[in-house]
Amino acid sequence: MLQPKLKSKVRCTDLDIGEVTKVVLDPLSHEISHIVVSMNGSGERQVAMGHVQTVTDDFVQLRAPSTDILALPPFKREDYVTTHEVEISHLEDNLHVTPGEVLVPLPDLEKNVKRRTFFMNFTHVIGFLIGLPIAYPILRFLMKPMYADFDNAWLNVGNVSKIKQDDVGVQFKYKKKVKEVYMPESEVDKNVWILRATPELLEKVYKDKDMEFRDARGKTLWTNKKDIPYVAFSGKCPHLGCAFKWRQHKTLGQVFLCPCHLSIYDAAGTVLDGPAPRALDALPLRVSAGGDVEIIDMEFKAGTKSQIRII
Amino acid sequence: MDSKQSTPVTIPDHQPSAIEKLVAFLDERVGLKEMQAKMLNEPIPGGSRWAYVFGSILLFIFAMQALTGTLLMFYYVPTADHAWASTQYIIHDVDYGWFLLGYHFWGSSAMVVCVIAHMSQVFLWGAYKKPRELLWIVGLALFGVVITFGFTGYLLPWDQRAFWATTVGVEILDKTPIVGDFIARFLKGGPTPGQMTLSRFFVLHVMILPAALMALAGLHLFLFRVAAPAGPFTGTVEEIKAKTDYFFPRQIWKDMVGMAFVFVSICALALWEPVVLLDEAAPDPGDYHPEPEWYFLFYFQLLRLKLFAGEFGQFLGAVALPVAFMALLVALPFIDKDPERNIFKRPIALISWIAIMVVIVLFTVASVINREFLD
Repeated sequence: MLQPKLKSKVRCTDLDIGEVTKVVLDPLSHEISHIVVSMNGSGERQVAMGHVQTVTDDFVQLRAPSTDILALPPFKREDYVTTHEVEISHLEDNLHVTPGEVLVPLPDLEKNVKRRTFFMNFTHVIGFLIGLPIAYPILRFLMKPMYADFDNAWLNVGNVSKIKQDDVGVQFKYKKKVKEVYMPESEVDKNVWILRATPELLEKVYKDKDMEFRDARGKTLWTNKKDIPYVAFSGKCPHLGCAFKWRQHKTLGQVFLCPCHLSIYDAAGTVLDGPAPRALDALPLRVSAGGDVEIIDMEFKAGTKSQIRII
Repeated sequence: MDSKQSTPVTIPDHQPSAIEKLVAFLDERVGLKEMQAKMLNEPIPGGSRWAYVFGSILLFIFAMQALTGTLLMFYYVPTADHAWASTQYIIHDVDYGWFLLGYHFWGSSAMVVCVIAHMSQVFLWGAYKKPRELLWIVGLALFGVVITFGFTGYLLPWDQRAFWATTVGVEILDKTPIVGDFIARFLKGGPTPGQMTLSRFFVLHVMILPAALMALAGLHLFLFRVAAPAGPFTGTVEEIKAKTDYFFPRQIWKDMVGMAFVFVSICALALWEPVVLLDEAAPDPGDYHPEPEWYFLFYFQLLRLKLFAGEFGQFLGAVALPVAFMALLVALPFIDKDPERNIFKRPIALISWIAIMVVIVLFTVASVINREFLD
């Protein structure tokens, strides 16, 4: 690429006609497309690079005679903007149109500074030394409420006299007192599904084995005896944690159906259809002589094949 | 500069006005005029187009979300016992509270729509290709920020809709192998959603995400200016050059019309479909059938598929599918190295885009149809 420098003398085939006052760049190719020549007092002409034959350090040789160049229309400054007024990145990167380099002096204190790389790395080390001791406290700070002990208290949820039919899901709503960190103690609405089960249903739920519930350390908390005719299911769908309902289904009859992702379970909690990975979660349950039902409000992680208790 | 000497003789007793003096004062110190010229004089190869308006519109929507969001914070209280009540107060008692909340609510939908439009335009124009790979990747990060904005903002009113969308959303993140449980607990601030969840989502929504968005959008714009606009995908260099204009005025005019259209649309939605809160959040949804925001409906419906049943199916649907899709988008400019940008000569790209849009539309419609069967 020819790089005519500013202030270079311009010579036609017959005589010197002036000097380069401006260069014009192509915004797409980023190359010089024209030079602007001051015609020794006869205005400026815009000369395409096609006319340029050779370029030396301070000299531009054109192919045309001076009459041809003089015949070109005068240069129109208003058709152009400077490179400072337009956003074309890298436009000037490959250009060397000024005669020589443009320099600024290095400050005295920056002369003969050794170990620049050392200082550069040292700033990184200092940054690291600041970051490292606070990373762990920040993590612990944010993790504070993430893990809580299991709550194994028995909660009264109502009386079984509410249940009129065997093997039919009945929703028991109850209030649970929660004391979250600094917040005042509050009550939240929760629900659990309880069935009065026929022996066949009990068989399907318990598979002839008592169901044991353990605390965080693996100690047995409670055992649901396989012949107690009541079953309680956590209100949380084991698929992705929505709340399911006892519904009439067109073909499957009475089922537990989750409206979120349409998991369907039978009265024993077994998955009949939909994306759920495991059966409904049975909860520890005890029924007093008067028919009052108490449960331990456990919750299990949704979406896993095995039960993983989270509260 | 030389040309100024040849301008006609100025009136000798012309005194610069106060504003002219102020502009001159600032220009001398900041280089205002040059900066303005640089910002406005950006060549648009092949000329301005309506297809290019979405980036500017997104910036406009963000500015309005920041404004309305800041105003909402004057009344909103991010605690489990006051979030719902304070939102109700904004809707029912604060003058124009219903409008500002409605604008913020519908603005988030507009943001998602325009992000999809912007990404589609870039994809169809082949503008993600070399040398604009980084621009595309930062854009994808911005897409992630916008989606997270929607997800975190959804919880803040603390009504049933908010609670269940969050419950399910966090359970989906929980399905990530190894770190899923940690991520879910970290976001919830405990084993189940509660005050800590609200606090965390609030900080994310009003502090971390806006900062991330501003930083990434700045980087996005910077990279855009360095790489320059891609321009049309057909036409010779001469044709494109002949049609080239600057960002100002034609493209800015189109952008402004686009912004005005979006502004009027959001206002209309805020007027005709004002935000109505459901009951206060509780782990018992009552008669409410949980559902995410409309732009997540297709994914919600997708997770109902048998294909995504069981523990492995859930991993597939909740983690593998979205991660693989995003990874594919990130890798796209490095896989697709063919410099051909004409969408009509890139059949795989065109078919993929149509297929994705069809899946989104079909599954969204399916989930809406499904609603009837649940009532």
